[in-house]
Amino acid sequence: MNELPNVRQPLIIAVALAYFAVVVLISVWAARRTRTASDFFVAGHGIGLVALTVASVSTSVSGFAFIGGPGLIYSIGLGAMYIVLPASVTNVMGAWVLAKRMRLLGEARALMTVPDAIGARYRSPAAQGLSAVAILVGIIGYMATNALAMGVVIDAIFGVGLAWGIWIGMGVTLAYSVAGGILAGIYVDVFQGTLMAAASVLVFVFVLKVGGGLGGISERILAADPGFLGPWGKVTPLAALSFFFVFGLGSLGQPQGVHKYYMLKDPLQLKWYPLLKTLGLILVLLLYFGVGVGVKSLVAGGELAPLPKPDAATPTFLLGFTPVLLAALVFSGVAAATMSAVNSFINIAAAAVTHDLPVAFGRALDNELFWGRAATAVVAVAAALLAQFSGSMVAFLGIFGWGLFACTLVPALAIGLNWEGATRAGAIASIATGLVVTLVFETLAYFGTYTFPTGVAISGLSLVLSILVFFGVSWLTRADAASQLDPDVRLVMSV
Amino acid sequence: MAKRYALFALLAGTLMIAAAYASAFLPGGAPGWSGWAMALGIPAVLVSVMVLGAARGERGVGRLVYPFAFSGLVLAAGFALALGLPANEAAGATLYLGLPLRAAIIIYGIGLFPIVVLPIAYALTFSEQTLNAGDLERVRLAGEEWARARAAAGAPSAETAPRPAGEAEAIHTGAAR
Repeated sequence: MNELPNVRQPLIIAVALAYFAVVVLISVWAARRTRTASDFFVAGHGIGLVALTVASVSTSVSGFAFIGGPGLIYSIGLGAMYIVLPASVTNVMGAWVLAKRMRLLGEARALMTVPDAIGARYRSPAAQGLSAVAILVGIIGYMATNALAMGVVIDAIFGVGLAWGIWIGMGVTLAYSVAGGILAGIYVDVFQGTLMAAASVLVFVFVLKVGGGLGGISERILAADPGFLGPWGKVTPLAALSFFFVFGLGSLGQPQGVHKYYMLKDPLQLKWYPLLKTLGLILVLLLYFGVGVGVKSLVAGGELAPLPKPDAATPTFLLGFTPVLLAALVFSGVAAATMSAVNSFINIAAAAVTHDLPVAFGRALDNELFWGRAATAVVAVAAALLAQFSGSMVAFLGIFGWGLFACTLVPALAIGLNWEGATRAGAIASIATGLVVTLVFETLAYFGTYTFPTGVAISGLSLVLSILVFFGVSWLTRADAASQLDPDVRLVMSV
Repeated sequence: MAKRYALFALLAGTLMIAAAYASAFLPGGAPGWSGWAMALGIPAVLVSVMVLGAARGERGVGRLVYPFAFSGLVLAAGFALALGLPANEAAGATLYLGLPLRAAIIIYGIGLFPIVVLPIAYALTFSEQTLNAGDLERVRLAGEEWARARAAAGAPSAETAPRPAGEAEAIHTGAAR
């Protein structure tokens, strides 16, 4: 998302300002309720089912689903759908594999972070510390990319320039992150997610209306570019299925999603969580699919000129074919979605710095709430500076975030919490493998030192390698497995 | 036993995906079978991970065996049909719910069928297979026991600090009290 068309119009600016005002009100309310580190990092384990579900949907999609995703469909056709299609199984898979175990670990030990769970599972400060390092490395990239995206969207709405866009967005995010911690983030997500779900449905209805239904859209595309609607779009089967694998299994390693399991007030409410979250995601993703194929159809039918760049798909459709109020809601929602993603990552990074790493070194901090707020500010400023001054490097940093989380956390956390035969050595080896392989391969690919074959996703390759290392090392050290489980953790793994 | 099968399927599925990636490094690029290896490996991995998470003791996955089998079949059959059916995407092609056949299989089959089955199966079997008030109480008691044992062992007050190796065994055997 390097540049968006200018969307400055009085109503769009007014809606964006109203949006920010609501965010400020929520953060003031949340700040009054944030008194402990547990409040700050996991909302005091006190979030209800509906709020958690809507917030989780918001965190899952970020700005990519509204700008980058439709643009990707416009570029490569149905191949881009393999990024979101796994949602048909990932939410319920996460519920079976992680939600119960994480929430029960939170119940038994008042855990707050993803590395906490790894540390408790393997009784290993080293595994906890290493996973915190992996999360920090991944977050640096994600944060900088989202900060840049935030700046791009705010600049498109207000015309303040990219640098001011980054700092205004980061300032608003920082204000509610420092004051209200994750509680503010959750309720901003609820507000933003609800509006975006409604806006997404409305945009999809406009797409169908403008295109003459899905059949009309398909007919126009098939007449001009049949490969676009092939089952793999414009990419190879291997590449499309790689997307499915990485975004399917990899969802179990995304700390911004997994971390939320701790926050549910009553673990028994998990019963309806996957159904509600999946339905919510489908609504929000209607825009992803609809705008992608809708704009392609308009271009194929000659009603729109070919886009100068794929990311223009959503702004072009909204400004040309929907009421300006709907466009305003989506643009504000995109800005809010990037801020929401930044808030989640700031919170997780702050927890890694002020909680996980000190615990790993045996030096837990006394006042985690104070240090959490301080770390939040430092991390946010660092991300904004990185986004502003790192040039093209920010794109490189953003590439590997999802894959890095997947290959460092899926084996040790998702498989490890469900397999008593996993060992501490296996967990540490798999985290280290994921970290090193991802960084080395992505660096080689980015600088053109080595070109990976068509269809090979580096994140997929790294995930496969870290899983195999996890199994291999756990098997070699299997004699230690039983002695590395505490009784309460064993119980959590068996219920 | 269900977990053992799931681990085997997870490893087998991962190896199939690894083989697909490895084949892409061969001279001439990925051979035709690489897509098939992914198409079978991915459902194996995803369903086995779900089984691993859902299985409980001797009971295994209970009634969930049906939704899991259904989902695995839908994913594998959907990918296989997309790979195996002849391309018919062209102007004037028959559309199914607005999409050409292979696209409809992917979007509606892979993207929507599992949604109809899995989350509902999760909710319907929740108290017997996933979590109930009795489980919750047992975990709370185990957590309290852990905290008491930890306090008795003179560990730092931070509840979340992982214990060094050997301490749990000592607590478990009572040596640390």
